[in-house]
Amino acid sequence: MTDRVERLTNLLALLLETREPLSLVQIAGQMESQYPDGQSARRAAFERDKAALRDIGVPIEQEIVPGGEYAGQTRYWIDRGRYELRGLELDDDEARALQVAMAATRPGSTSGQEALWKLGAGALDRSAAISAVLPDLPELPVLREAVAQRVAVTFGYRDVAREVDPWGLLLRDGFWYLVGFDHARGERRTYRIDRIEGEVSMIAGRTFERPDGFDPRDALPADPKQIGAVDEVPTARVRIDAPRAAAAEADLGEARVAIRHPDGAIDVDVPCANLPAFRSWLIGFLEHAEVIEPADVRDHVIAWLESVAS
Amino acid sequence: MTPRPKPRPAEERLRRLLVMLPWLMERGEVPVSEVAARFALTEDEVVLDLELIAMCGLPPFVDELIDVFVDDGVIVVGVPRLFTRPLRLNSVEAFELLASGRAAMELPGADEQGPLARGLAKLATALGEDDTAGVRIDLDRPPLLDRLAAAATASEELLIGYWSASRDETTERRIVPRQVFADRGEWYVSADDDRSGTVRTFRADRVLSAEGTGRIVAPSDAPLPTPGAWFDDESVRRAVIRLAPAARWVIERYPVDQVSPPNRRGWVTVRVPVASEQWLVRTLLRLGPDAELVEPAEWRTDVAAAAGLVLARYRRS
Repeated sequence: MTDRVERLTNLLALLLETREPLSLVQIAGQMESQYPDGQSARRAAFERDKAALRDIGVPIEQEIVPGGEYAGQTRYWIDRGRYELRGLELDDDEARALQVAMAATRPGSTSGQEALWKLGAGALDRSAAISAVLPDLPELPVLREAVAQRVAVTFGYRDVAREVDPWGLLLRDGFWYLVGFDHARGERRTYRIDRIEGEVSMIAGRTFERPDGFDPRDALPADPKQIGAVDEVPTARVRIDAPRAAAAEADLGEARVAIRHPDGAIDVDVPCANLPAFRSWLIGFLEHAEVIEPADVRDHVIAWLESVAS
Repeated sequence: MTPRPKPRPAEERLRRLLVMLPWLMERGEVPVSEVAARFALTEDEVVLDLELIAMCGLPPFVDELIDVFVDDGVIVVGVPRLFTRPLRLNSVEAFELLASGRAAMELPGADEQGPLARGLAKLATALGEDDTAGVRIDLDRPPLLDRLAAAATASEELLIGYWSASRDETTERRIVPRQVFADRGEWYVSADDDRSGTVRTFRADRVLSAEGTGRIVAPSDAPLPTPGAWFDDESVRRAVIRLAPAARWVIERYPVDQVSPPNRRGWVTVRVPVASEQWLVRTLLRLGPDAELVEPAEWRTDVAAAAGLVLARYRRS
């Protein structure tokens, strides 16, 4: 009995080098006694090998003979163009830079390590003095592919099945967003990718054009408090006590400061179109901040706090 | 006696061989030890797998298609005919490389014209990305972050003003930054902290001032927290919270031990580590009617009291 690695390698070599698609009978014949003789045992062993090769990323093509003596027979081969990594000639320093980047953002990733090896880079270092944790979501790889290939996708979001032309992906404020054109709504929409329900699938053949100059950063206001704002941006005036004033000003920018009080407190004008985001920001100050106006925003905050205080 | 290593699955061995062979073929001769270190294998595993692959080939299996042998601790690869190029990247690998590279370009000290930028541009082209709009990463940095990162690289001691959310006060402390990282939308700095005598992790946006003391201090050997898992320690207390559908973001943003399936109203029950009670209080105030604290019950009074304190301010004016 041949070692399994040896048999897998020989099968891979055979399917890569063959000039024409091969049936299982031909494969077993060429590989001499490596597959069992019995028909069903042979089929089972071959299916297992085929699955193993596909699992490690080998694209195995198959066709069914349409007519003639062997009509209905399945034949297999590997298209070298689809098998090999091509068109990516990295210089050593470039491969090493990607290795450092991976160590700084996905230090423990086995798929990241695999990718680096394919590029000719080395083992992934596990610590970096300066790093960023990238949230990992299973939907991201297929969404990226769809964005690059300009193919529409379908997925569930807020209990509704969506069909979307994916224009771009954005990581901001620790969350991944998809920006795209929603077919049913006929307009551009932004989706939080972690809120996508179920699988994302590409809709074969449904390609699209992306608007010129598109940038996902423009689709999403940098400040979550502005999400939903149209032209006139509504603002609320908020008083912030002296101990927190400097940090608030650094965060908001000097331009938002409306009044400076003698005791060091400041009044700032802050966008409040996205009320939940505004409220969340405000509550971060606890009793060191207070909405002065407008009255409806002030009342909303009071009602919100009362629901917790009772 | 050392335990016998676990047998490695055939898929994993082949996967490793398929990245190892093209690399070896480009070099011709490489010490076994170097190959083992590079591909995270033992030297025995490398030799075993390469000796096996040398027997593989095409029918009638007389010609050596993969000409490789080990001679005196050195691997020698002859004229290659098979497996000269690595397998293409799968979609997960492609995404991870691109996202990692783009994220690293947003880190302090990134060089717009450097090897990362060049390698990333080649990668993007090979993956069919015709511009950079397809995958964008924003890691907005607080004003003092670059200063903190530079100090971490140089082991420089800093005098910082820090606002502590849990005690609601600003303190001055001497720190030696050791690592700087972004996690879940915030930047942090882990540093040897003079005041507590241990490693502490600070929110970078709460560092209100930072000045070099002019001293370079050898970093301590105290272990650093792991970015991504650092506020998730087992020794930390736990709370159980019920969350409405509108509050589900909590599950994505913070580490959680357990999430129950949603009930008929779509509410879920989660168990979360609570490193600071102040954090929990603030989070529950933010969630308002969309969350209920189940346990520990005694914290409910603290949450209500914190809300009452803020309300008192509105009733006064």
